[in-house]
Formats: sequence, C-alpha cells, structure tokens
Amino acid sequence: MRNISSVLGRLAKTVSVGLMLLFAVTMAHAQDVKEGETLFKSKCTTCHSVTRNMVGPALAGMSERHSEEWLISWIHNSQAMIASGDEAAVQLFNDWNKLVMTSFTDLSDDQIKSIIAYVDAEEAKAAAGPAEGEGGAGAAQSSDANTLMILGLLAIVVLAVIVIVVLNRVIHTLEKVIAGNQAAIEAAQAENEEYEENRFGKFARAFVRNKKLVGFAVLMLVAFLGVLGWNTMWNVGVHTGYQPVQPIKFSHQIHAGVNQIECQYCHGGAFKSKNASIPSANVCMNCHNTVTAADHYDGETSPEIAKIYKALDYDPATREYGDNPRPIEWVRIHNLPDFAYFNHSQHVSVAGVECQTCHGPIETMEEVYQYSPLTMKWCVDCHKTTEVNADNAYYDQLIEAHEKLKKGEKMTAAMIGGLECGKCHY
Amino acid sequence: MDSNKKYWKGLEELQQTPAFVENNKGEFAEPIPVEDVLNEAGLSTRTPRRDFLKALGFGLGAVTLAACNRTPVHKAVPYIIKPEEVTPGIPNYYASSFNGQSVLVRTREGRPISLTANPNSIGLNQGTDATTAAVVLDLYDMSKLQNPQLDGKDVDWSTLDATVIDALNKAAAAGKQIVIVSNTVNSPSALTAIATFAAKYPTATHIQVDAVSYSGIVEANRASFGKAVIPSYHFANANVVVSVAADFLGSWLAGEEHTQDYIQNRDYKSLKNGRMSRHIQFESGLSMTGSNADVRIAIKPSEEGAVLVSLYNAITGQSLAGGVSNKKAQTAIMLAAKELTNNRGNAVVVAGSNDVNIQLLANAINSALGAYGAIIDLDNYSKQYQGSDAAFQQFLSAAAAGQVGAALFLNSNPVYDYVKAEDVTNALSKIDFAVSFADRADETASTLKAIAPASSFLESWGDASAKEGYYTIVQPTINPVFNTRQAEQSLLVWAGDNTNIYNFVRKNWEENILAGTGKTWNDVLQTGFIYKGSSVGSSYTANVDVNAVAIAIGTASKAIAGEFELKLYESTVMRDGRYANNAFLQELPDPVSKVTWDNYAALNPRDAEKLGLGENGKVTVEANGYSVELPIVLQPGQALGTVSVAVGYGRTKVGKAGNNVGQNAYPFARLVNGTVQLEAKATVSKAGGTYELAQTQTHHTIEGRNVVRETTFAKYLKDPNSESGRFADSHKTYDLWNKFESPGHKWVMAIDLNACTGCGSCIVACSVENNVPVVGRDEVRRRREMHWLRIDRYYTLEQEDGSKLTKEKEIAKATDYDYENVTVVHQPMLCQHCDHAPCETVCPVLATVHSSEGLNHMAYNRCFGTRYCANNCPYKVRRFNWFNYWNDSRFDNYLNNEFTQLVLNPDVTTRSRGVMEKCSMCIQRIQGGKLQAKMENRKLRDGDVKMACQEACSANAIIFGDVNDPESEVSKALRNERVYYVLEEINVQPNIGYMTKVRNTFEA
Repeated sequence: MRNISSVLGRLAKTVSVGLMLLFAVTMAHAQDVKEGETLFKSKCTTCHSVTRNMVGPALAGMSERHSEEWLISWIHNSQAMIASGDEAAVQLFNDWNKLVMTSFTDLSDDQIKSIIAYVDAEEAKAAAGPAEGEGGAGAAQSSDANTLMILGLLAIVVLAVIVIVVLNRVIHTLEKVIAGNQAAIEAAQAENEEYEENRFGKFARAFVRNKKLVGFAVLMLVAFLGVLGWNTMWNVGVHTGYQPVQPIKFSHQIHAGVNQIECQYCHGGAFKSKNASIPSANVCMNCHNTVTAADHYDGETSPEIAKIYKALDYDPATREYGDNPRPIEWVRIHNLPDFAYFNHSQHVSVAGVECQTCHGPIETMEEVYQYSPLTMKWCVDCHKTTEVNADNAYYDQLIEAHEKLKKGEKMTAAMIGGLECGKCHY
Repeated sequence: MDSNKKYWKGLEELQQTPAFVENNKGEFAEPIPVEDVLNEAGLSTRTPRRDFLKALGFGLGAVTLAACNRTPVHKAVPYIIKPEEVTPGIPNYYASSFNGQSVLVRTREGRPISLTANPNSIGLNQGTDATTAAVVLDLYDMSKLQNPQLDGKDVDWSTLDATVIDALNKAAAAGKQIVIVSNTVNSPSALTAIATFAAKYPTATHIQVDAVSYSGIVEANRASFGKAVIPSYHFANANVVVSVAADFLGSWLAGEEHTQDYIQNRDYKSLKNGRMSRHIQFESGLSMTGSNADVRIAIKPSEEGAVLVSLYNAITGQSLAGGVSNKKAQTAIMLAAKELTNNRGNAVVVAGSNDVNIQLLANAINSALGAYGAIIDLDNYSKQYQGSDAAFQQFLSAAAAGQVGAALFLNSNPVYDYVKAEDVTNALSKIDFAVSFADRADETASTLKAIAPASSFLESWGDASAKEGYYTIVQPTINPVFNTRQAEQSLLVWAGDNTNIYNFVRKNWEENILAGTGKTWNDVLQTGFIYKGSSVGSSYTANVDVNAVAIAIGTASKAIAGEFELKLYESTVMRDGRYANNAFLQELPDPVSKVTWDNYAALNPRDAEKLGLGENGKVTVEANGYSVELPIVLQPGQALGTVSVAVGYGRTKVGKAGNNVGQNAYPFARLVNGTVQLEAKATVSKAGGTYELAQTQTHHTIEGRNVVRETTFAKYLKDPNSESGRFADSHKTYDLWNKFESPGHKWVMAIDLNACTGCGSCIVACSVENNVPVVGRDEVRRRREMHWLRIDRYYTLEQEDGSKLTKEKEIAKATDYDYENVTVVHQPMLCQHCDHAPCETVCPVLATVHSSEGLNHMAYNRCFGTRYCANNCPYKVRRFNWFNYWNDSRFDNYLNNEFTQLVLNPDVTTRSRGVMEKCSMCIQRIQGGKLQAKMENRKLRDGDVKMACQEACSANAIIFGDVNDPESEVSKALRNERVYYVLEEINVQPNIGYMTKVRNTFEA
C-alpha cells in the first residue's frame, strides 16, 4: 500500500512538473504548435525526426543553431542558399553527404514558424523527462491494476479459508452427536458395506449376462475408434492451424490491421504472378528506414526491426549498407504439394477472391497460422460454388458458347472445367 | 482405304525377325516374372516366395515407420533486395544469340531455362535446331571447370594472368609467333578484342579452323569469283534442287535456315497454290536431306565428281571426260538436267564435298543455270564457317619447327578433331606456352599449361555476325555460375586493356555497327539484332577452267575408289562433337537410323550379308592407317560398297555424359590439296563380338497398321484428296460414348508431313519444356526412352524398274530387295488427345481423363502405374517411369545434382517412379496463355499459345490452336484436303490431323 502511494506521489510530481513546463513553452503558440504538428507529420517525417538523425539531421536545437530567417529561407530553397555561398548552408550540405533537401516553396513563413514552434515544443517535452514523463504514468497505472488484482485474489483466499474453518466447525459438532450412538451406527455400517458389495457384483454380473448390452457397448467402442481413426487418417498431411515460429516476430495485426497497409504493398506477386511472394528486405526498408518503433523500446530500435537491418547488413547509425547481407529464412506456412499448381493471380486478380477467403482473418493475426485446410476437397468445394467473374472479356468466348448450352444458368468455375485434373495437376 | 505401299520402320520389321516378333508381342519389353514367383518352383529360386513375403513385410513396416516422421519444415527465402524486373513466378525474356542466330532466352527467378528463336528476327530461321534447343543444359554442366587452372591445379585469375602475360612477353621478346587458334569467329567484338591483343603483341596472328571444314567452297569461290566466302543459299527461290552429297537440311552449313526456305515451296500453303519444288539427291549414306528428297540415287563417294561432270555435260551440252558410269545415276542425271534447264534461274545444284575442284564444277553448273543472285547470294554471304585448313597446317609446321612461342586455343580442340592428332600433339610439345579458353579440360586443354575457362554465352556480353550485314547481340542472362571469365575479357586483360567487356562491346557497337542506323544500344538489347544487308544478291558468272577441273576430279576420285568407300558425315544431332556432353542431344535419335548414344558404321544390308554380319554385328573399319571397331547399322538406302561413319563421337574428355560414347572418326579424314576431305578408301572386315545399339526405330511400333498416307504431286494436282483415305467420308461411324462437348476452346494440332524433315529439334524442345528425363543408353535398349514426342521414320522399297513394291503378299514373296532404293516418310507421333481415348476407359483410378477443352489430362499424383493405358493406346505414345530418374544414382549422367536441376521448368512437375506420362499439349503454356488473356481482360488470340515443339520447328510443320475459332491458323490448316487422322477407322477421334506426304517424283 505504501508502495502504491509513493508511486502515485512521484507520478503526480513529475506530471505536474512536466505539465507546467509544457504549459510555459506552449502558452504563447498553442495554436501554432498544433498546426506545426500536422505540417511536420505530413511534410517532414519522411526524412527528419526531432530527436534522432535520419535521412536528414535531428531537428532538436535547430532554432538555437540557426536564426528563424535562415531556417525559413533554407526550407524554402536550400539549394539556392548553398549556391549563394551561405557558409552555414554549405557546411550543412557537406556534412550530410550532399543530400539535396526537397524545397518547400509552398509553405508560408507562418507555417514554417509553426513547424519550428512544434519542434521546439517537442524538444522541450523530450528534455523534460525522457525516462519518466508519460511513460512513467503508464507504468504507474499498470502497477495499480496489478495491485487491485492481487488484492482481489487475496480476498478470495481469505474467504475460502473462512469457509473451510466454518465447515470444519460444523463437522466437528456433528461428530460429537454421532459419538453418542456409536454402537448402533457401527452395526448399521457393516450391514451397509456388505450390501454395497453385493449390489455392485450383481450389477456387473447382470451386465455381462445381458448380451444386448455388451453388444451395444462393443459397437459403441468400435464406432468411437472408427470415427477417431477415420478423422486421424483424413487429417494426415492436413495442417490447419500450423503456426511455426518465425525468425522475425512479424505481426500482420499491426501492419495489415492497425496500419491498414494494403496486402499488395508487400505481396505484390499475388496480384500478378503464381507466387504471392514474401517481400524482400528492401520492401521492409521503405518504411523501416524511419519506423524503428523506438518509442516502445526506450529509444532503441526494436530488436525485431533490427533483424531486418542485420539481414541487409545495414548500419542505422551511419545509414550505410555493408557487404554481408544474409537473407531472412522464413518458415513456409502454406505448403501445397509439388504436384498441385496454384496461381495466385488467377484467384486474386482475375476472380477477385479476397485474401481472407483462404488466409483467414490475417489482419488480426499476431502470428500467421494456416487458416484453411488446403485439401483438394476444399479447393473443389470452392470451385463448385464460386461464380465466374463474367465481366472479364476473356470469358466472352466461353460464355457465348455456354449460353447456347445452358440458358440462364449461372456459371461456376466447375462448369468451365475448374474441376478437371489438368487444371491444377501438370 | 488400304495403302498399296508397305511401310516398315526397320529391317527387323520387314523381315519379321524372331526377336522383333517376340518383342512386339507385349507392350513392354520385359515381362513381369509373376509366374516364376507364384508357382511351386518359386520357393527354390534365388528369391523364394517366403523371402519375398519377408521383404514385403519389412518394407511395409519400414514405410509405415518412415511415414510417422513429422512433416518437413519448408523454408521460404525471399530476395534480400529484389531486382526490379524479377517477379518470382513470371519468366523474363532476354534477346541474345547462339551460333549467330537471334534467340530469346527465357529465365525464371534469374536462371535461364530455355532458348527459342527470336520471333521478330528477320535473319536466319524462325525455329531452333536441336543444339540450340538443348544448349541451356550445358550452362549447368557439372563437368565444366570451376576455376582457372595452371598445370591442372586451380588458381585464381590474377595468378593465371601474371603467368600468361609473362609467357606472352617472353615469346614477344624472343620474336616468336603468338598464335590464336580458334574456330570461326564472326563476332565483331571478339575480333576487335583479338585485334587489341595483336596490337599489344606484334607477333600475334589469328587463325581459324573448323572441325568440319568448308574451306573447299571458300577456295572455289575465290577462284571463280574472286570472293573468298561461303554464299547464302535461298532455297525458297529454287523450283529444282539437285544435291550431290550435301545434307543441306541437316548439318551442311545452315541446315535450319535452308529448311525454312526449302519448305516454303513444299508445305501445305505452297501446295494449295499448286506449287512444289523438286528435290533430287545423289549421295552414298542416307542423310536426313536424302530422306526428304523426291528422288534419291545412291552413289559412291568416288562418283560425286563424276555425277557433277555428267550433269555439267547434260546441261551445257559439252562433253567433259569422266562422267558417271552407274546406269541408274545416268538416267537420273538426264532427267535432272532436263528439269534444271527447264527451270533456269530457278534451279540450283549444291555439292557437299570439301574438294575445291568439285565445288568449282558446282559453281560452273550454277553459273550456267543462272543461280547466282536470287538463289546463291554472294553479297549477303554467310560468315558461319571461315576456317582455313591450309592456315592450320602452316601453324602446325611452324610450331613443329619451334617458331611458335605461345598459342591460345579458343573454341578449338584439334587434339580431338584434327585429322592427324599426333601432328597436333607433336606441335604442341614444341610450343613454349599454350593456354586454352575451353570451359572444360577437354582433349586439347588438358594437355596445355593453362586453362582460362570462358563463360558460357548465357553469362557473357558479346555479339555475332552469322551473315554479312546481320548482327546479333549476346547479352548475359545470369552471373557466371563458376569462377569463369569470358575469353574476350581475358584477351583484353592480357593485352593490358582493363576495359570492362560490357563497355567494350557497347563501344564497339556504338562506334562501328550502330553508326548510321538510327538505332541505339538499348534498342538492340531489346530487339536482339540489326540487319544492314541488301535484299537480293547480285548475279555473278563463274570463271572456271572446267577441263582442268574435270581432270583433277577424275584423279581425285581414283584415290578414293575401292571395294569399300568410307564417307564421314556430321550427324544432324551431334554435329562436330562440341556439345557431346549434352545428354539431351545424346539421347535424341538420329533422324534416319534412330540410333542414340553411339556412332556406327552404316552398311547396306547386302554388303553386311556378304561380310557375314547381321543385326548387332561389329566391323573393323580401316582407312588412312587408322582403324576402329564399330557396331553396324543395316541401313537401307546406303549405296553398295560404301560405309558411312559420323564424326563428333568418341570424345574422351568432355564430361560424364559424353565420355567414350562412340568412336572418334576424324582421323579417317584425308588432307588433300590443303583441304580436309571426308571421303576415303577403306577396308571393312568383320570383327568379333556383338554390340547392341540403343536404337529406337522399332520401339512403339504400330503393328503394320496404315498410319502413313502418301501421294505424288501429279496425283495431288488432279485430286487434292488423293490417297488421304479419309475414312469418315465413306463410312458411317457409331459411337459407344456420348459426344464430348468442348464449348470453350478445343485445342488441336495439324502436322504437315510434307514439311516435317525429321530433324528432331522438336523432341529436344519438348524435353526441355516438360522436364522429360534422359534415361541413358541401357534404358533405351530396354525400350524405355521417355520422349513424349517421337518421329517415326517409315521406309518403303522401290524396285529397280521404278515400280513400287506393292501389296503385302508380294513383299512376303520378294526376297531380292534393292536396298539402295528406299523412300522415307517422317511422321511426328505424340499423344493424339483422342476424344474417345482408349486409355481413359481402362484406367482403374481415373488418373487420365478428358477435359472440356479437348485434352487428355494425365494426373501423375493419381496414377499408380498399372500401365493399362499404355497397353490400350493405339498410338503407343505413353511412357512409364521405371525409375525416379531425378534422384537415382544409376542415372547420374546429367541431372542428379542440385545444380543441374536448376534447368528444370518450374511450371511442370517432375514425375516420380511408377507413374505414366505423355504429351500434355504443353498444358502449362495453355493455362499460362489463358491467364495472360484474363489478366489483360481480353479474348485469347490465335497464336497466343504456342507449343514447345511448334516453336522449335523451322519448317512450321506443327500448327497448334483452337479449332473452335474458325479463323485460327489450325482451323484453316485442318480444312485442307490432305488432312487425315491416324487410325481414323478405329474411331477414337484423335485431335491431331496429319497432312498426306506428297512426293514430286518423275512421272513415267
């Protein structure tokens, strides 16, 4: 209890200090900071962070390093400044490998000022409590929740003990009453035991003698084993639910679910090729060049994201690629046998089947598992019911022919040969 | 309906030998020993029944236990950085060239898997020959060197470079010659690289020598026209072709290009217009070209010159001495001369000899016929064979005299393929330093100090110019798989020029070839070629002293005339032996003899009889002091008193597949007047022992049923339906089965027997596309070759008086056959995708079923190998996997390693042991074509889907398409009057239509 109060106390202190600081800084430009944040996130985050060096330098302290006018003219057109021979501009340009910064001529002076204000505010926030601050509050809240839970458990234990004690008391009183009629009870007990034994033996004997019953039991057993065997045999090689441990704890839930990244962004092959294809590490780097999830790992790069860097032999500090890349060896989850030919593009692009139809609620999967059985029955069932996407001009020549055959009926994949062996086996 | 001709595939069939009858009783060569195992005696045999049951029990238990294993974990490894142009699962095509022909290389995930002709290319041919179709396998050949070598030990390139440069400087300082010995180099960049090298080392010279030499033609043209070139031949413009021992559709110069041209006057389109050329062939051994001739006269090699002399006399009315005395030939020459003079300006005579005088006489005849210009083009001449035998002889004598300080061998293997190997080894021993660019330690390279292994053309930058004005690019499709470096780069490095070869080739193109064409380097990378030649060659008149030539021919003929005359030839399949380690080529049956995995002595059956030899006999052939023992082939059509032997075999240091296959025949050749000639006087004697050749000729035979239809051009003109024997026209048919509806597509094929020359490149293309395994010589002997597509070759006999042997009864009586006089029909045979397929009804597990697109599907994973289907197939086109050819150490000659398996087409399953397979009509291509159309939201167009065999065929003999589209090419072709269906009378309703063979014979 004391612990909790101390934690709460500390929390209150830091929060109030932090708030005061923030308030002091932001009072003047509260509105500007908000606008600055929007602009910063839409224009700057591709290359800059406040606290870390990315493609461009960390922006913290920039208003100390440069005057406001300098910054405005730099952001408007850095190349012009360099060309004009501004010493600081040339220095900065050279320090950052002569990377050309995009010119933002469309930003007004006020907008740039609001961005600077936002950066300053963020900087102050970071300076106020990198270790505590909001993170500390979160920790306190969660420990609070833990305590509640522990308290609840303790209460249950105490209640249970009380119940046991009370029951013991009752038993004890009853025993005392019984002791009075000891002899009579003993006799009755003996009789009772004998009777029990007889009754069981009789029942067993009666059961064995009843052939119908025995037959029924055997039948049940055979049926049970049969069903068990049948199911086992049918499921040989069926790996529904297969969820191997992957070299990187990649979460589709975060990428496809929370961040709503299109499947095609990473699995482009699914839309144009036989293979859906696992994205190559350079595709990961499109985002993870900047997204390091450092806010969840005390400012360090997430260890899982670091595995991508390792695969590419990429050093995030120097932003350079080494010459010893090693591919990531994922464990294949959906294994079709070699004799079955499956083409993703036919299903995804031509038929318009959703990824989820076969792969299940992928956007909720923390780790991917095999959702569908991938048996031939499963394929065939779908082919029997799925209607052909008749909008595709290819089917015109088939549909014309079919309409002559079967007027008015709908056309499923099966009806245009989707069940024939050679469609998948060659 | 009944044919009045008797067709037979081999002498065994004609004579109904006991072995042939026995083999044909059952579908499979080896009966299964069921009786032996199950009868009482079974207990006392070496593997008695109880042992069998024990083994069975153990096997079952073991398999059950093994099946309890957990499913293996499959890894999925993506690219680290995916190349922009690669999408896994989608092939990329690169324009490149092979042997000067513009080709498209198909790659999957960065590895080349097949080569096809560049369909947009205007030069050369639109199909590929067998070598081009097969060569992709050589990229993954494990017999190649993986590092540069010095004294047989692996070294790194810098060590090798230092050693070579040191040796070259020493040679240059001593004033000794530095010689680059190569086969024909027509690559402009390679020639520039050689020039750069020669500029650095002033004593350096470059000589070219080809294993099979055409320097006789070059020299003859130098003498006649002052142009030392080999002309281009345009057979499309020839109504009459007379060939004297030139296999111009096969191995002579540019066989595929000639085929494409030649067929234009003979295929169904030409016949529709009432046009067909006449082809008369004089030759000793039955070549592929001879088998396609309308009239073929067997002559001895010593008569080649005499035939030309007689022909010259008949055409010009002169009377040179030394005409042919052979009566049959005389008659034919009179008729041929009449045809030729009647078609002056549209007639040509080609001669295969490498004798300058014979070529001079051919020039005189062609000049008299006005063939120079439209048919023989000396302006857009061929640059494929520029070797000079004389230059190589000079090199050998200079080397033997110790004047050569260093020699560099580029694509040259004279220890194997030169007439006198000892001259070469002797010369090599006198050279201070020699290095080879060979990709393997071949016969020559292994004797040299250093080997600088050159990368394959699939790994290199380069170019070629097979014809004057026609330039093709070579671009890499994969990084070098071994530590190799292309020869041009090595030459540059040794010349002290460190230009990267890419920049070098590009610069050379931009400065010399592209200048003035308005095209850029990037354009060429995309199109693959550039053509700057003139359209038609101008006319020339040969200046030949015919009298002197005739005398010289007479003398030369006497030198080879004898009881037996030997004719060496380059086989259509193995060519000069350079690709002898290619298992696809080794297993491709010879177009005529159908022999695989060996060369042999081809003898007329009568000669063999005289020598006391039958099938499987062996002879000792001796000529020029060289002798070898060879198995014999009783070859109908072979001239009496002649023996033919193919060169290109008997390699000893080429690799696992090709080592010691056959015997080397190069030493039989003769050096006469500075040219290598392939004819010699020989003695042939019976050798002890027997040898069974792996010959596919009578495998999968069709029991003498009437499958080939043949007519003559005269009859065709009167009635285009002639001899096509269409059954449905005269019979009412009844069906046991319901009609199979094909409401969408219906895939069919039309095969023009008049266009098919039998070359076999379709077989290789099919094997490459469909992962058809190579089984090796022993398995072929057991009739277990796996080819999905075979070309049946049927002989018919003609009697001496010209009347054909008709009616089977007469054949049975006649024993005195004239084996010199046979005619041949080639018939590609593959799964006919019958609508009422007999194989489908007998399969107990429905592993082979019909599709709504008219295809006969084969589900390998369903098949459990009863082989009922093969038994019930009237066309004998089903193949059974007796072994797991991919993973069985007994078949380690080419594919049983992870590396070579990279050549497999990933869209087609590899079949395991115990399942049946057959032509699937390239279903992966059909499905791919349909998908492409769907993705592009359009209908499937005719020509979108092409079969592998169709793409390979330069003669356009195979036409594939959707018969439900009345405008498709195949629909049009199948409406032709000549179309018939093989075994139509059994009403299996095949989907492959054949067009009758039409022969433009002399009408009596």
